[in-house]
Amino acid sequence: MLGLQILIDGFAISSLYAIGAMGFTLIFGVSGVLNLSHGGIMAIAAVIGWLAAGDLGLGTYLGTLVGVIAGLVASYVTYFVVILPIQRSRAIPRDETEIFILTGTLLWGIMIQVGLAWLFTDNPVTMRPLIEGVTYIAGVRTPRNEIMIAVICWVVIGLLWLLVNRTPAGKRLLAASINPRGLTLLGFDLSRIYFFVWGIYGVLAGVAGVLLASFLGVSSASAGQLTASAFSIVVLGGLGSVSGSLVAAYVVGYLETITAYLIAPTLRPIPALLLLVLVIYVRPQGILGRR
Amino acid sequence: MSASVRLKVESLTKRYGGLVAVKNVSLELHAGEILGLIGPNGSGKSTVMKLVMGIEPVTGGTITLGDADITRWPSHRVARAGVGIVFQHSRPLHRQTVLENIKLALLPDSLLRLFADRDVDTRARAIADRVGLSAVVNRHPSTLPFADLRRMEMAKAIARDPQVVLIDEPFAGLTLSEVAAFSDLIRGFRDEGRAVLLVDHNVKSVAALVDRVFAMYLGERIAEGTAEEVMRDPTVRRVYLGGEITASLKRDQAGAAKPPFLKVEDVSVLYGKAQALDKVSIRVGQGEFVSIVGLNGAGKTTLFNAMSGLLPHSGKITFDGQDLSRLTAGGIARFGLVQCPESRELFGDMSVEENLDLGGQHLTVARRREQHDWLLELFPILRERRTQAARTLSGGEQQMLAIARALMMDPKLLILDEPTLGLAPVILEQLGRALERLREKSPITVVLGEQNVTFALPHADRVYVLEHARIVWEGDPMRFAKEMGTGYL
Amino acid sequence: MKNLLRSPALYIAIVVAIVAALLPLWASAYLLGILTVAYYFGVFSMSWDLLFGFAGEVNFGPTFLIGLGAYTAAILDNQFGPPIFVCVLAGAVVAVLGGLLLAVPALRLSGPYFGLVTLVAVLLLQNAIVIFAHWTGGEIGMTVPDILSIDATENYWYSLAFLIVCAILLFGLSRSAVGLILQASGQDRIEAQALGFNVTKHKIAAFCVSALFSGVAGAMLIFYMGTASVDTVIDISIGVQVIIAAVLGGRRTILGGVLGSIFLILATEFLRPLGQLNTFVVSAVALAAILFFPDGLLGYVLRAGQRE
Repeated sequence: MLGLQILIDGFAISSLYAIGAMGFTLIFGVSGVLNLSHGGIMAIAAVIGWLAAGDLGLGTYLGTLVGVIAGLVASYVTYFVVILPIQRSRAIPRDETEIFILTGTLLWGIMIQVGLAWLFTDNPVTMRPLIEGVTYIAGVRTPRNEIMIAVICWVVIGLLWLLVNRTPAGKRLLAASINPRGLTLLGFDLSRIYFFVWGIYGVLAGVAGVLLASFLGVSSASAGQLTASAFSIVVLGGLGSVSGSLVAAYVVGYLETITAYLIAPTLRPIPALLLLVLVIYVRPQGILGRR
Repeated sequence: MSASVRLKVESLTKRYGGLVAVKNVSLELHAGEILGLIGPNGSGKSTVMKLVMGIEPVTGGTITLGDADITRWPSHRVARAGVGIVFQHSRPLHRQTVLENIKLALLPDSLLRLFADRDVDTRARAIADRVGLSAVVNRHPSTLPFADLRRMEMAKAIARDPQVVLIDEPFAGLTLSEVAAFSDLIRGFRDEGRAVLLVDHNVKSVAALVDRVFAMYLGERIAEGTAEEVMRDPTVRRVYLGGEITASLKRDQAGAAKPPFLKVEDVSVLYGKAQALDKVSIRVGQGEFVSIVGLNGAGKTTLFNAMSGLLPHSGKITFDGQDLSRLTAGGIARFGLVQCPESRELFGDMSVEENLDLGGQHLTVARRREQHDWLLELFPILRERRTQAARTLSGGEQQMLAIARALMMDPKLLILDEPTLGLAPVILEQLGRALERLREKSPITVVLGEQNVTFALPHADRVYVLEHARIVWEGDPMRFAKEMGTGYL
Repeated sequence: MKNLLRSPALYIAIVVAIVAALLPLWASAYLLGILTVAYYFGVFSMSWDLLFGFAGEVNFGPTFLIGLGAYTAAILDNQFGPPIFVCVLAGAVVAVLGGLLLAVPALRLSGPYFGLVTLVAVLLLQNAIVIFAHWTGGEIGMTVPDILSIDATENYWYSLAFLIVCAILLFGLSRSAVGLILQASGQDRIEAQALGFNVTKHKIAAFCVSALFSGVAGAMLIFYMGTASVDTVIDISIGVQVIIAAVLGGRRTILGGVLGSIFLILATEFLRPLGQLNTFVVSAVALAAILFFPDGLLGYVLRAGQRE
């Protein structure tokens, strides 16, 4: 019984982690950026979505949509205000760009966190469930919302897969992550591709943020932890590998769920972190990473 | 081992996964001699140097310095044992002055010695003086001209009085007078009794300087002897020139008279401080096939990258009436000037089909299909490999895929940069035939950059020779065979 | 030696030190208190700059080393109550061990990977402290029975003296022959090795030195504040402040870190009336500084002198 509970809960949370992590790694793979304000973007989506659903009276579904759009906007603001200026800056030596981006996005993440708390609230916000009620799966009491979330996540994952593997635009993204110069030689301007990928990222982070709010609740204070989870998963799965992130999300999600149920809820993040340390020492490129 | 042998390499082998970069190379370096290690790109010559210096681990064989077996030594230990190295690209510490850079070379490898010995300053100045840097010792590297940066590298290499000096491409980027000055400097090293190993891909440029030459190709030794002996060696000539130089007879000379389709005017490119292109001008008429011939490092790739908008340059490039400086790199390719680069830039993890498909993205669906079918006919081997990942293809197949992908864009002008690099003769024939058919079937204009003159000549309407960043010769292939033939190498 | 005396940074530093020493004559206990913390932060930033600017290693979790030093000292003091300097020493030892632990992956990983390792280290330490709450006081933190002094001026002197000593040592190290080797090791590993330097040895040493100063400063900070908690010495945002201070002051200047820390801590304090927003404003200013003045204050001044 407990095992089944773990299986179900773990599945739901892993699916959520997967969306966020896949976005994070997509940005790294295509545009070379480690966005440490990732959790902040998720938090923005969650808070705006909650606001729209509740205070603005738009209801849960529309509120969710508004939240995702907020994530998209936040993603573009991050790109144009923080990332692009650093990449284009002539004052920063080429080999230090990465460090500046890491620091810049870290700062930006803090700004988002504090800004959200001040403008709205730093209490955890919870979205009302998209579907009310519970059902029983093989005897385990499961909120219908949880199932809905898992379904939505997989629909998104499916759409992403279709996009990357079956559409020309998606193929270009994949090509950009393999060889950006090759793409330029084929007549594609990389700036357009970056614009596209940051848009996809915004949607993914937005969906992850809003759904998380619906499932567990999100507060501005957890922005940092969300970023930390995402990059742990991404490093575990292999930086730049979208399928690696998917697999790693499930590994981490289940590790956390098992820990929470069988050991202690407070120790939730530990095993994943330990696994991460192990992986870094033994196989730094991650499970499915290329190197 | 005779008393004067300073460095001995025996059966040296280096494997990178499946690729054998150096195969069974044995050589000896004596005190008071300059040995030239020559070979084209991919010959393994730079790898040999890195192996000696301990920068890469050895797969097989031994390296002996004097009495010591240094095969498995880490580079800092090799350096302390008396080997100095000058890398191909200068590596200064930018935040330190010239003097401080040289002083660094004189410091002991100690964690505890906080202050340098008193004589370090004096010695550093003496070395700076020796290489001709005394006027600039207090300046920072970013303010120095290219030749002075190279001088500083020489200074660092000889600072601790090494018995063996390794120099990678000593003259790349230097003007003729600077080459003379550097040659004197290197001769000076030899006259002091040091053993000097020069690595270069151009026999001609080092011929006057070296005592002996060791020629390599695809990781193996192909010839050894004096510079004249090696230049006359048939295997060496075949590798450098590709064999007999014949020009095809039926070339269309009318192309030269037409208004220029592509006009490159006084284009110069600076790589950091190095003059990679020096006021290069060429013109190509519509439908012409122009070969730009030159050794590795002459500047062909730089020229092509400038044309494709990938490099900043001075001067003007006009194509089909359009000033290319107004377009982005992607825009230039879309406009019809497509490059198939030396490095191919394939999408390794994607299939052949996907690679081709990406090339055809700007065409209508119908046109794309047409082009695709035609190309698979032109390069039948690609049809077989359609679903395979590009990186699993052999070298020749990858080259064909790269060319096919570029052609998928239905370009007005195709630039081919060193398509024959590293390919077996059989593949070259296939490639040659494909180019012929291409010219028969379509009005495409082609610019071919090649070191392999045998491949470059038969197809060409006109030939340019690029040497040390400058165009030094222009004319038709027949004249080239007569005039430049023997002197080319 | 000449190198040392020729640096303009030294003279700026001397002036600042003199002004700082004279401050207690007219400043309030409140201001002195803020500056005391700022000076300890200055040592954090200088240690970070040594590792980054000189060994070329970006440590995104300096609080790992600081926290190790701080908590070891605090726990020791609570459990066994030895004199302060013994606790600080213990903190130093543990911090250096932590530095060695970080050094190992640093030598095998590059770029973003190493940065991530340092972040993970902080997360692990943070979680460990929460788990072993019995000894560490968990998320609430712990108090220590001994403190350096209850007098604001005395505490100020302690921290200023400590800062000056650390500054002399770290700055001197950076300008020494060893410092030059470190710079080469960080900037161009292959060239440094080709010149005969065992880069691995030097980088490990750099980690240990950075860890030593961070750990000691962390421990000293505990004995000033009388408390240790995750929020004050471990949290990622503290680490970010350390990095920002170093960057604002000027990377690779060592002494810049002090200026950056003072500015940052004073700014945060004076913006306190804004409530939560003070962090926002400071972060925004820091972000703007990164975008427009990446060389930092001291860096800008020194760079101007370099244009010959």
